[in-house]
Formats: sequence, structure tokens, C-alpha cells
Amino acid sequence: MEKEAKAGGSGREREELETLTITKVAEVSAAIDGAKHVDEVIRALHFPVDSPLVAGVILDERSRNQILSVVLPKDGERNCWKNAFYRGSAFPALSRILLYNVASKWLADFPKLARKQVYDSFFVEGPTTEIVQALVPSLKQKGSTKDDFNVICSNIERLLMLCLLENEGVRLMVGEFGLLDEQDNNILKPDKVTFISRISQLLSSIPDKVRLRASSALSSHSFFRRVANQLLTGAEERAVQLNCNAIPDAAFLFVGETFSHVCRRGSIDVIVAEVIPRILSLVQSFLSSNANLVVPDVINSNPKSHFWLNMVEAIKDQYAVEKFSEEMLRQLASTSISDVEVYWILWILFSKNFKFGSFVRGMFVDKFLLWKVFPLCCLRWILQFAVFECPPNSDAQMEGRKTPHFLNSLQLLISIWSRREFVQSSSMEQQAYLTAAVGLCLERISKEELDATKDALSNILQGVSCRLESPIDLVRRMASSIALVFSKVVDPKNPLYLDDNCCEPVDWEFGMLPQRKQIAAASHNEDENKSKLFLREDRKSASDEKKQRVIKHKSAENNALIQELADPDENRNPVEVNGEHFSGEEDDDDSSDSSLKPYDLSDDDTDLQRKFSQLGDIAAALRKHDDPDGVEKALDAAEKLIRASPDELSHNSGDLVKALVHVRCSDVAMEGEEDSAEEKRQKALVALLVTCPFESLDVMTKMLYSSNIDVGQRILIIDIMTEAAQELCNTKVVKREQKQGELVSAVSQPWYIPSSRGPPGAGPWKEVSEPGTFLSWSHRYEREIPSRPGQTKAGKSRKWSLGKAKDLQVEWSQNRFPLYAAAFMLPAMQGFDKRKHGVDLLNRDFIVLGKLIYMLGVCMKCMAMHPEASALAPALLDMIRSRDVSNHAEAYVRRSVLFAASCILIALHPTYVASSLIEGNQEISGGLEWIRTWALHVSEADPDTECASMALTCLQLHAEMALQTSRALEAADQFKAQTRTLPPKLDNIIIPFSSTKF
Amino acid sequence: MSGGGGGGKPRPPPDPIAVMRGHRAPVMDACFHPSRPLLFSGSADGELRVWDTAQHRTLSSTLAHGGGAGVYSVATNFAIGNKVVSQGRDGTCKCWEIEEAGLSRKPLVTFRTNSYHFCKISLVKSASCSSQSSKAIPASERIVESDYSINELEENKKNGVSKESIRFSDVNCAERSQAHLKDFSTMGERKLMALAGEDSSMVEIWDLATAKKLMRFPQTSNVDAASHPTMQRGMCMAIQAFIPSESGCSLNLLSGYEDGSMLWWDIRKPSLPLSTVRYHSETVLSLAVDGTCSGGISGSADNKIVMFSLDHRMGTCTMRKEISLERSGIAGTAIRGDNKIAATAGWDHRVRIYDYRKGNPLAILKYHSASCNAVAFSADSKLMASCSEDTTVALWELYPPKGTS
Repeated sequence: MEKEAKAGGSGREREELETLTITKVAEVSAAIDGAKHVDEVIRALHFPVDSPLVAGVILDERSRNQILSVVLPKDGERNCWKNAFYRGSAFPALSRILLYNVASKWLADFPKLARKQVYDSFFVEGPTTEIVQALVPSLKQKGSTKDDFNVICSNIERLLMLCLLENEGVRLMVGEFGLLDEQDNNILKPDKVTFISRISQLLSSIPDKVRLRASSALSSHSFFRRVANQLLTGAEERAVQLNCNAIPDAAFLFVGETFSHVCRRGSIDVIVAEVIPRILSLVQSFLSSNANLVVPDVINSNPKSHFWLNMVEAIKDQYAVEKFSEEMLRQLASTSISDVEVYWILWILFSKNFKFGSFVRGMFVDKFLLWKVFPLCCLRWILQFAVFECPPNSDAQMEGRKTPHFLNSLQLLISIWSRREFVQSSSMEQQAYLTAAVGLCLERISKEELDATKDALSNILQGVSCRLESPIDLVRRMASSIALVFSKVVDPKNPLYLDDNCCEPVDWEFGMLPQRKQIAAASHNEDENKSKLFLREDRKSASDEKKQRVIKHKSAENNALIQELADPDENRNPVEVNGEHFSGEEDDDDSSDSSLKPYDLSDDDTDLQRKFSQLGDIAAALRKHDDPDGVEKALDAAEKLIRASPDELSHNSGDLVKALVHVRCSDVAMEGEEDSAEEKRQKALVALLVTCPFESLDVMTKMLYSSNIDVGQRILIIDIMTEAAQELCNTKVVKREQKQGELVSAVSQPWYIPSSRGPPGAGPWKEVSEPGTFLSWSHRYEREIPSRPGQTKAGKSRKWSLGKAKDLQVEWSQNRFPLYAAAFMLPAMQGFDKRKHGVDLLNRDFIVLGKLIYMLGVCMKCMAMHPEASALAPALLDMIRSRDVSNHAEAYVRRSVLFAASCILIALHPTYVASSLIEGNQEISGGLEWIRTWALHVSEADPDTECASMALTCLQLHAEMALQTSRALEAADQFKAQTRTLPPKLDNIIIPFSSTKF
Repeated sequence: MSGGGGGGKPRPPPDPIAVMRGHRAPVMDACFHPSRPLLFSGSADGELRVWDTAQHRTLSSTLAHGGGAGVYSVATNFAIGNKVVSQGRDGTCKCWEIEEAGLSRKPLVTFRTNSYHFCKISLVKSASCSSQSSKAIPASERIVESDYSINELEENKKNGVSKESIRFSDVNCAERSQAHLKDFSTMGERKLMALAGEDSSMVEIWDLATAKKLMRFPQTSNVDAASHPTMQRGMCMAIQAFIPSESGCSLNLLSGYEDGSMLWWDIRKPSLPLSTVRYHSETVLSLAVDGTCSGGISGSADNKIVMFSLDHRMGTCTMRKEISLERSGIAGTAIRGDNKIAATAGWDHRVRIYDYRKGNPLAILKYHSASCNAVAFSADSKLMASCSEDTTVALWELYPPKGTS
């Protein structure tokens, strides 16, 4: 149709036609304005259609005649006329009339056929670009009334669906742009570019502009899906037309622009979903046709692939390209697709830009490797495509030639990976991702290449060592994985296993998207475990050596065994010798020896193990490092003896604490039993702290900051204090049953017990308690009497009673911790920020700091709702508020601080908070407010996801606390009203979910 | 293990037939009465108890060595008759009369040895002293006889000491010794006792009846006493005196020293030992010779038990069997009168029984809960007593002699 229109005459003729159409439109406008019946409107509009058809639907006789009487122009003329109508200003004018006046007033009365033939044909038959320009902007125009607006809009939506979707208007549009290009000799003028961009923008804005109640076909998902489909089909057709000419084309430009606009509107996934099957089938066809040898030339020569080769280039918007490729990778990852296929898909889409455009290269190497986190398979693809730059199935042939880009990229990766800041501040997923990237690259590198890259070696070592110090297990696992791969590069025969669970094909996923922990406490428990692991690590090296020795020894033994088996004579010899020996002896003196048969001579030393009965002995034995057995036995005995809490415990406790802390369990314990020894030591220490808190704490807190213990021992001390606090908090007190018996023991039978006369076999008298009361004025006794000879027992005997609560052995728990809380916390809080020889909590020993804060938090929790909590909270708040602590670079410390803050919130009694607000206690009110703002800040800005989630929990607790406090304050207000006014210093707590400020 | 001919599973080791409790301190030593069913035991708090081994109860208790000194050793013998000697850590030994209801109220003799060491006393064990022969001689007769000879020795001794320096320089030393031979040979009939002396590397012979010191080994001049090779061996830690039948009834001594060496003395040659052997790497703690005096067993602080034989004609001591132990420390050894089994008391709380002839282990007796200090066999070979730091004395019945069972 358009082609015919193009055939229309010269410029002058066109101008004439245009004026003609404009006058015609004016006429129509006037006619419609004056119309009184729908038929008149139809008659006025009839001009583009065949008259008889219209006549059929018009009821009015006069009008029908009028229509039939009009002389129709011939085909050629009609095309010229049409061209003039749509390209000129007539169509926009008429479309306004049609869309607003006719639609709101008359369209409802149109017969169905008339609507289709007369009304819709205006839009359906015109060029889509014009239609879009006419229809889309009108969507936002306000009608006079709401009803009008609804009618107008629904009509426009109907028309859009009709033109764009049903008639495949979008595909036609691509063709239109192609023609446009050909007219202008393929030169993209700026005005044309803006035009294309405008159209694509209008097109992509449709789903956002339509009303909420519009048809689901216009919802962004399905609309864009169909648009994308049409665009791709159109572009493929166009590509075939162009036949491998790699010239930027308006049609492609349009497609690209539309894609980028859709992308900006957040629906790139729909497009990618449309793209993937198409390109996949293309790639599969290549792969199936040429088995393994997919040469880029084959792809280049195919006209169909030409479109894809140019497509990404056509998307000018870099953001859109990035989103597009990201989405592409993610969607590919969710399908079951082979690496080779993905490689070629990426190659087709991006290879052209990758080679020449720095942007795409930067996107892949920089953004996708360093900033984003993809699933592992995507990472492999990215590396394959962007770093190794070779298809995955041709490793052998590519081995020799590695691009310089490869080493550059690797160097970049390693240098970032090894930075301490990266370890500290990036999220766990990111770390795992980058580690995997480095690992996968290292797997492909040779020793020579590694030597050639400067700094790589030292960077790797630095990265590994700073990760091994981390309290987080996963981070250490990353380090050991890299170390393993690295060691295999350096010496393939001698892989280095830093970890027991480090297995040969490294799992680079590291459980990449770990489940988030909900409860702060739970996460901390895990941390604890982690750092226990960490503690063990330094012992590992020693034990590893031992293991190796054992293994060697065993292998030697095995060899010996095998040799023995191989040599049967040797095996038999001892028996024979023994036999001879025996017989000889028998001969010697057969007279006596039948009586001297040996007993069982087996012997074990279980009874010989040293029994410790004195605390002093234990302390002494623990100090004898050269007697491992003694130390082990002392550890075995220690807890039990301490728990017995003998009188001298308070004198010995300090001594014992020192001895226990200084014991080196790894040296003492047998191979493989270090853990149990460690556990015993810990239990003994906990027992000490629990049974004899003040004396032990005195020594222990002094040791905590002394410079002659190591980090492990410091952590041990803190762990012990934590456990002891918890135990003290849950102490069970068993009340002994009060003896109600006689004070003077009666040797003979007391006077009040019935005499023991009776039938033989009668049991002793037992006192029966009176039901109901504790105190009874009379005593009742019963005894068992054997049944008489003739007596038979029938049935059961039951005893009825009131079920007196005679459980006098009441067991209730009593929190003993608050009594000792100050002794636990205050000395530990002193001097944490001092730097001494071997003590540097704020920087080097941050794990100790984290554990310390955690311990303080636990202490707080253990005295929740006790008055001591309110006394100690300000001090703890003061500590965690300090900048060095709350903004510590290590997430581990921040987590601890969040935990401690949460504990404070739990521990403070609401009435105490209320009273401190009323009194204007700045320490408390300021501290609590600080917790809130800080937690808010963390939840928003912290790179560590766990920190953020903990901060949210903390905020929740704060809200709860505030609520309770406000209730307490209300109560106080009532009281206040009765008594006197108080200073209004209540502005420090913001109650969530209400605008009230207290 | 070495199950022998029986085939089946070896029997579990026996339990003691009786445990005698009553001491309030570690029991240091025990010995059986040679003919009556009595057991004497001494504990570290100085108490000397007499037990009835048939009824398993205490007959009497005496504070033998007071002042916290403790009884270190008790000994009795056929040769000394109805008496028991206790050695205390207070530098004295006491000889007690055994009466019907226990011990005499006061000791018969108290003698100050001024020794405060760890060596238990030893009465003289005689090869001819084995049950039948000694029973033939009435006790009273023997005592008279020995009294006489002690006096004789005393005179000789006085002379001997004065002549000592001369004797060593004298060329005719051997002759003179021969002259004394007769005197010495009679010592076997006397009530003698050997112990480590005031200078604890010396061994002294005391007369029980007169409480006099008779001799010292090694017999040296005062001048070169310090340089004598025996002095280099450290303290004497174990002594066994015996009179072998082969060597003409002269008194022999075995003494074990701190450095693990063992010396064999003949009283006729007091200056130099007959033989010196060093089987142990640590202090020799106990020595016992068998009934025929032709061999013995030694225990030490190292992890070995050594069975040795003594060749009287050659004057040599040779190792017969070395038994190595898992855990070191043998505080006491004993050989039963019929020479069939030997027992050791270990620091590892165990009493071990060995076949004395073959040297193979027979039983490991686990009863005591603290280290064992001594073992002793009864004269009729039926019973064995073990005493331990855990303040108990256990009685065992092991491989009873055929004739009686």
C-alpha cells in the first residue's frame, strides 16, 4: 500500500492534494458538528471507503442515496490522495475529531460494520508511524467529563490493539523505516534519528499510558512480548533484504531504540525471553550442521545471523545493553543449555562490539566480574567469552595462545581480590563470586605465565593470608580453595590442603547465596562456632604434622605386614619357636608344673589413672607440661572437683584459672582428642567461674589484657565468661526437703508409735500424712500385714487422697548472675582500646573485640529486667558508641555491636527507661536514641547483609522497647497529674507508628 | 597368650581371700610368723600389728616406733625364734617377744642404728634353715649356742678392728682370714641382722641379742673410705643376708645400690665383694634369694625384674631371666619357700606372680588401690600377704602346695 502511495506524483501535485484534503477535513468537521443523527456522521466520514459497503449499513434512505451518488476516485488517484492525507496535516486534524468528538458522541451508535469500515479504517489503513503519533499522545488528554475520558481512552486502546497487535503494525513499522532508509540513501540524518527515537518512545510508553482497566493485551508484559516478537520478525526480514550489508540501518535503529526504551521501562526480561529461543535455534542449527567446527565465518555468511550480529550494536543505550546482557545471562542460566551454545550465543551477540568497543569489554571484564554477582555457570560463560576468548570445547588448541587480555584481566582480578578492604567491606556473595573468578582463571594458567604477571604471586599470598585470619569460616574456605589451586599451578604434584574439608574439585559456589539468618542470637551462635574453628586452626598445623607422621608410621607397618604375608616361612617361625620353647620347658620339670597354670594376664591401667583429690594437685599437675598424661588426667578431674566447691576453692581459684588458661591442650592431648581436652578445659574454667565467681574473675579479667597470653587464650577467656554468665543466669536451686522428723533420734521405739506386736511378717509402721494440711495434730500410722491363710485378695486396692502437694523438693531457677554482673563486665570493658605489646583489640585482634562485645551483650541479656542492668547499661553503651567500635571496618565487630545493642534493649526495664527519661538521664536516653539512629544507618548502608538484617531486628526491638516505655510513661503521667509537673525532657524517644513524641 | 595345654580361656586372676584393714597409714612391710598362723605388719604411723591369719583379725597392736617415725620393716625368722624385729625410721630397731596375746609390752632389745635410710633390714636366710632341718634343733639349744659364739666373735672383733690397718697391708692377709674362718662360720647359728648403716652406703651386721654392731661392708680403712668403689654406688637400698649350704655356712650378703648395681659379699672377705653386677638401670629396691640360696630375684625402680643365679663355687652371679614390665617400680619381692613361685609388689598397685623356675608370668593381682610396698609368703607356702599404701594388707592363696591341698 505504501509503495503505491509512493508512486504518487510530484511535489506540486502533492501540495494541491494536501490543501484538498484539508478542506475536505474541514467539511467533515462541519458536517459532524451539525449532525443530528448517526447516519449523518457516517455519511460525512465515508470518503475513504467503498460506498456500497457503507450504504448497506445506513438505514436512512436519503443518506444512502447521497453516498451512492458520490463518484469514487480511481485507484491511482486514491493512493495519491491517501498519501497526502496521512503524511500531511489533515490526518492529525481528522484524527482529533475522530478520537474526541465522534468517539464520545456517536461511536456507540455506529453499527458494527460501519465502525469497522468507516471509523476504524481511518487508522488501520494508514502508516503505523503516523497512527502511533496520533493515538498515543491522546491517551493522556483529559476529556471534559470522566465518562467522556473513559470512552475516549477505551476507544484509543481498542484502536491500538487493532493496529499494532492484530494487524502486526509494529512489524510493518520496521519495514516502513527500512523504506525510509532506502529513500534517503541510507544516511541517518539527525532529524530521522530523533524521529525514530520519538516513535519508539511512544511505542514503549503505551503500557504505562493506558488505563488500569485496559485489556490485558496492553499490559506491559504481554504487549512487549508481542511487540518484541514483531520487531524481531521485522528485523529478520529486513536483514534478509539487506543481505549481509553491515551498514547501520534505520530499521535496526528503530528496533534497538525500542529495546532500550523498553529496557528503561524495566521490561527487558520480556524481550530477552523472546530473543533467546530465536538465537538459540539459530546457534543450534549451526552446531548441528557443522558438528564441532563452528567457524565464525560460517555464521557471518548466513543472512539470518546477520541481524543478530548487528543487533547489540543497534542498541545505542549502554545501560540497556548492560541490562540486556545481564538478563540474557541470567535467563540462560535458568535453562539447561550447554556451555558451547552459550558461548556462541554470546559470540554472535557481542563479539563484534567486544573486539572494537571498549564499552562491551569493560562491561564484561569489569562490571560482570567485579561488581555483579551471577550464578557460577554464568561466571564460567563470562570468563570463557570475555577472558579466555575461546569456545569451551577447544581447550587443547587454545592452550598455546592466550591473549594478553587474559593476563591483564587476571591481574586485575587478583589485585582486587587480595585487598583487605575488599574482604572487609564487600558482601559475602560478591566475595565468593570474585574468588570463584580468580580460582577459575588460576585453574587455566601455567607457572610460567604466573611468573610473568607481575605482583600476581605476592597478591595471591597476601589475599590468602588476610582471608585466613577472618573469623568467618566461609572466607577462610575461600582462601584455602585459592591456595589449593595456586599450589597446583606452582607444583601440580604437591597440592596444598589448608583445610580438612578442602576437596579436590573445588566447589567454587561456596553455597553462594547463603540463607539469611533471622535471629541475631542464632547468627551469633554460629559465629561462635566459626571462631572456635578459628581457634583450632592454629593448632592444626601441629596436628597435621603429627598426622603425617602417623600416616608414615602406619604405611611402614603395613609394608611390614605385607612382607610378612608374602613370606610364609617367616610367619610360621615364631609359632614353631614358641612350641619348642614350651615343649623344652615341659621336659625340664614335668613334675611340678601342671599346678602352675597362669591366670589371665591381661592388664589395663584404668585403675592406675591418677586420682586427683586436691585442687592444689590439679593446679600443680597442669603446670607440668612435660607430663602430658598428668595434665590430661588433671583436666579430666578438674571440673568435678571444682563443682564440688570445697572450702579451699576460693584460695585456689586464681591459681587454677592461670594454670587452666595456660595449658596447651594440643600438646597434651592424644592425636585426635584435642577437642575433648579443650572441652574439658573450658568446662573446668566455667565451673570455676560459676562456683567461685569473684576470685576467679579477678584473675581472669586481669589476664584478658595481659600481654603474655595469645589471641586464642584471650578468646578462650571471653568464651568462658560468656558461658559462665549464661550458666549463672540459669542456676537451678534445689531446695532440700525440710526434715519434719524428730530432733532427738529415738533409739527405742517412740511412745506414740503403735506397738510392733502383730502377726508374724508384719512390716514396720509408716507414718501416713494427713491429707489436706501440712501440720497434723495426730499421727497416723499404717503397716503391711501378710494376708491370713484363708484370705483371698479381690480386686485392686485404691487409696484416695486429696493429692497433697507433697513435692517439697521444689526446683526453681534463680538468676544469680546480676550479683556478679559488674565483676564480669566492668573490668572487661576497661582498656579494650589500649594498645599494648601483644594486645591490639581495635585493629589486629578484632576477633577478640567482637567476642568481647558479644560477651558483654550476653551478660546484659543475662540480667535482663534486673536493676543491675540499668546500672551497667550506660557503661556498655558508652563503649559500643565509640566510633572505633561501632564503625569498625570488620563486619564481625559490627555484628557484635548490633547484638550487644539489641541485648541492651531487651535488658532494660521499661519503667527504668521511663524514669530515666523523666529524670533527664542523658546517658540512657541518648544511648537508646543512638542505637536507633545507628541501627537505621546500618540497615540502610552496611555492605554486610547479615549486619543489615541484624540491624532490622535491633530496630524492631527498639520499637518494642519504646512501646513498653510509652505505656510506662502513660502510667507515670497519670501519677504525675495527681502530684506535680515534671520537667519536659521527654523528647528523646520516637515512638514508631505514631506521630506522638514523648 | 601362653595358655599352655589347657586350651580354654585362662582363668581370671584370683581375688584376695582376705583383706585386713586396721592400719591408719600405708602399710610398709609384713611378714609371717615362721610356725604360728600370725602375720606382722608395720605401718608408716609406727604401728605394729599382729594378725591372726586364720581368723583374719587383729590380735594386737603396738606403737612400735613413735613420734611419727613409722615402722619401715618387720622381720621374723626361724633362726631368731619367737621374736620379731621391727625397724623404724627413728634410727632404731626393736626386737619383740611374741607372747600368747600378741607382742611383749616392751621390746626385748632396742638398738640405735642411727640409720635413717630406705633400706629394709634383712635377717639371715639359711639354706640349711629350711623347715625340716631347723625344726630338728630345739630353740633353746640354738640360743645357748649362739650366745656363746657371739661372745667369741666379740673378742675377735675387737682384735680385728685394731688389726685392721695392718691386715690390709699385710702380706699374710689370706692366712689370717683363714684363721678367722671358723669364727665367722659359726655366725650362721647366731641371731644376726643386716642393714644399711649410719653411712648408708655401708652395710652393717648387728647382733640381735646384744644389740651390737659386728661388722661393716665394705671393710675399709677410714682413710680411703670415701674412695672405695662401693661408696660410689650411692646408698644401699636393699639387702639380703643368707647362709648358703655350699660355702661352708659362712654368711653371705647381697646388697643393691642406688646406681642399680648388686654386690655379693662373703663375710670372710669383707673388703671386696665376690661379685659385682649391674642388671638394673635404676636403684635396686628389693632383693630376695630362694630357699636353696642358689639364686634370687631383684626388683628396682626401672621397668625390669631380674632373676639371677649364684654360683657359689665360682663366686659369680649370672642373670637367668630378665622380665620387662610395662610400668616401672618394684618395691618388694619374695620367693616362696618351695621355690616354685615368686611375687613382686609394684608401684603400679599390682602384685605379680611368676613361675620362679621358668620365669614366666602367672598372674597379675589387682586389688590394691595404691602402690604395693611388700609381699611375703608364709612358711608353709599356703599364704601370701601383700601390703600397700592403701593401708590394707591382702591375703592371697595361690597355687597351694600339692601335699596340703
